[in-house]
Amino acid sequence: MHQRTVPCQGYFAPQKIEDALEILSGCRGEIKVIAGGTDLLIQYYDRLYEVGTWLDLKNIKELKDIRINKNQMEIGAMVTHTQLEKSEDIKKYFPILSQAAADIGSPQIRNRGTIGGNIVNASPAGDLLAPLMAYDAQFKLLSTQGERIVPAEEFFIGPKKTILEQAQLLTGIILPLPFERTFGCWIKIGKRKALIISTITLALVAEMAEDNKTVKDVRTCLGSVAPTPIEVKEVREKMIGKNFSQLDFNQLGQIVEDKIFPIDDIRGTREYRKDVAKNIMINALEEIGSAWRSHK
Amino acid sequence: MSKLMIELTINGKKRKVETTASTRLLDLIRDDLHLTGTKEGCGKGECGACTVIMNGELVASCLVLALQADGAVITTIEGVGDDKCLDPVQEAFIETGAVQCGFCTPGMILAAKKLLEENPHPDEEEIKRGISGNLCRCTGYQKIFDAIRLAADRLSSRNGGRGEEDA
Repeated sequence: MHQRTVPCQGYFAPQKIEDALEILSGCRGEIKVIAGGTDLLIQYYDRLYEVGTWLDLKNIKELKDIRINKNQMEIGAMVTHTQLEKSEDIKKYFPILSQAAADIGSPQIRNRGTIGGNIVNASPAGDLLAPLMAYDAQFKLLSTQGERIVPAEEFFIGPKKTILEQAQLLTGIILPLPFERTFGCWIKIGKRKALIISTITLALVAEMAEDNKTVKDVRTCLGSVAPTPIEVKEVREKMIGKNFSQLDFNQLGQIVEDKIFPIDDIRGTREYRKDVAKNIMINALEEIGSAWRSHK
Repeated sequence: MSKLMIELTINGKKRKVETTASTRLLDLIRDDLHLTGTKEGCGKGECGACTVIMNGELVASCLVLALQADGAVITTIEGVGDDKCLDPVQEAFIETGAVQCGFCTPGMILAAKKLLEENPHPDEEEIKRGISGNLCRCTGYQKIFDAIRLAADRLSSRNGGRGEEDA
């Protein structure tokens, strides 16, 4: 059995956010923040990183909470996928976030992997990212210099690239509680159910107006179809203000197919992803339609 | 490389171990604590051979730093059953022939135990999901499903026939 040794100098596991921020800003050289480690340690042991010092967030209790405050929810960055899957509040208000978390990895991975890690790792295939964008998430970034709140869509700038600065820590995810008559659909396509990096994901969230016929708002977000998770905004103008039962699902699927820009990779070709994107958009609209009709 | 001391409870025993910031929990368990029932398969969290129960949760010990286990309570396969009496899940694996080469078995048994703890009467889909983080390349899984069903039946009749609630 080969024991792997990679040079590494220190390890911090503070109990308070303030202490973590101090360590981050005071530490020169390579310091790596670690949450669940399910992405990070694979990359580390593949020697994609040389880590001088670990900053482990495991002892910071307030990062493990899911809180509702008036009309918004704040999810701590250290909340695990298992917590997201099982939380009654998340199932009630943000069901497709719970479903996406349930589709990640395996029990072993979901027990360790965290929402904050999924975001900061910023894989174009990160399964929580499209649902978070679809629910209009904002991310809370803290440093010793203060707090910054950024919308999810401004956070991701490329594959594994974000605007997070070296001295900043993602501490929480802020989600506005949805209005009544909000319907969502999550579809993940991959070669198997468990432990698979998504070939394509779709998170569609539609809110119906007070008349319960007209679409008031919609967000169509996809993963693994571009360098970052993206929203296809062109869908909005075709849906908002329209009667849901008169929508042309085929046309909406075509818009999604046309507006994404996937690449060929080992998980699927560009062409395959475009075809599938159209089909899953149509399926998602049908599913939302049937949820809406049975709710009426 | 600087050495760091951690303390953890493993299979009911408190242990102090010297480790480094780059050691995996898997290596600590196998090389420092000499508990070699925990296996290394892929080293990437995909095969489940290194599965242990840490603080009540199933984890892949190849994706946990040893330092992250400081203060943790860990059960490895050596902590399941004892020399005189096997765990009902272990018995069921033997009786149904759910073990072939045996490399996946420690992780598989821990995953099955955890599943039955949370869900004493899993259906086929729930069994599949419960062991979805554990690969077996020999059995084709059918006998593993049989073993888990058998263990579920035995455990529920031992627990005063909890299955009767359904009747």
